[in-house]
Amino acid sequence: MSIETISEAEIDIREMAESGREVPDAQVYRVPIDGQVVRVDTAHPTGEILLSKVDKRPCAFELIAEFVHCDNDVIEPEEIVDLRQRGLKGFITAHKEIVTIFINGDDHPYKIERGVHMVAQILARVGQTPDGYVLLEEKGGPPMPIPPNQPIEICGCETFFSQPQSGGSSS
Amino acid sequence: MEYPKEQIEDLKRYCKKLSAVTEGGVTYLCLEGLRLPSGCQPAECDALLCPEPKDGYSSRLYFSSQIQGPYTRNWNVSNARIGERNWFAFSWRVELANPTLTQLLVAHLNGFAKEK
Repeated sequence: MSIETISEAEIDIREMAESGREVPDAQVYRVPIDGQVVRVDTAHPTGEILLSKVDKRPCAFELIAEFVHCDNDVIEPEEIVDLRQRGLKGFITAHKEIVTIFINGDDHPYKIERGVHMVAQILARVGQTPDGYVLLEEKGGPPMPIPPNQPIEICGCETFFSQPQSGGSSS
Repeated sequence: MEYPKEQIEDLKRYCKKLSAVTEGGVTYLCLEGLRLPSGCQPAECDALLCPEPKDGYSSRLYFSSQIQGPYTRNWNVSNARIGERNWFAFSWRVELANPTLTQLLVAHLNGFAKEK
């Protein structure tokens, strides 16, 4: 005779936390993030996976776990969360002050303060200047050149490329 | 002239349709619905990229109309007839050693983003 573990189909972690009950094993966990309930099909997602459920990325946002009877806890993107831990009622996100941008490829991340920056400040991250290089931003389309005097609003996760300056008016 | 397939694919990201036009022994790449840098009016137009030397320039980018950009440009080609259409171009020299087609296109588009 075999013993089978019966798991619940769907469990709402907030309901469990607020009623003080232990979260049972389930196929799907209903998890509140920023007030929106998302469905997660593992008890052990990473912080990055949970952020992606509300269309956010760790290059711009922080994930914070909320508990019924204890302090909030910041979850790192690669950190594995136990959705069955007692008292966990959900998550909130917060826009980071120091965000990550990418210059010349996703494998070249750079930390930068959120807010307005000039082209020269972005290029300086890769040791380049507007005299020698064009800064291109990939924003809802292919990478396009940005005028050196145009301020750039950095919110996090922006993708830039640089290319040697080569053009000039011949008139 | 033939270009590497990956360069052609990369160039396609900038426009809705890419084709080739050969005229007078010169091959032009026709970029329909080319996206232009921010601040340009219109925001997109058709364009012809000539990656070969032409009219004393090492390469040229022709537009289907004169574009209003952030800076005044010297539009020294008006109504040039290529591939049974009229084209416009501003004076812009690009000197890049062995550029890819996309690098060449971006260097020309930078003419709208660079003061001089």
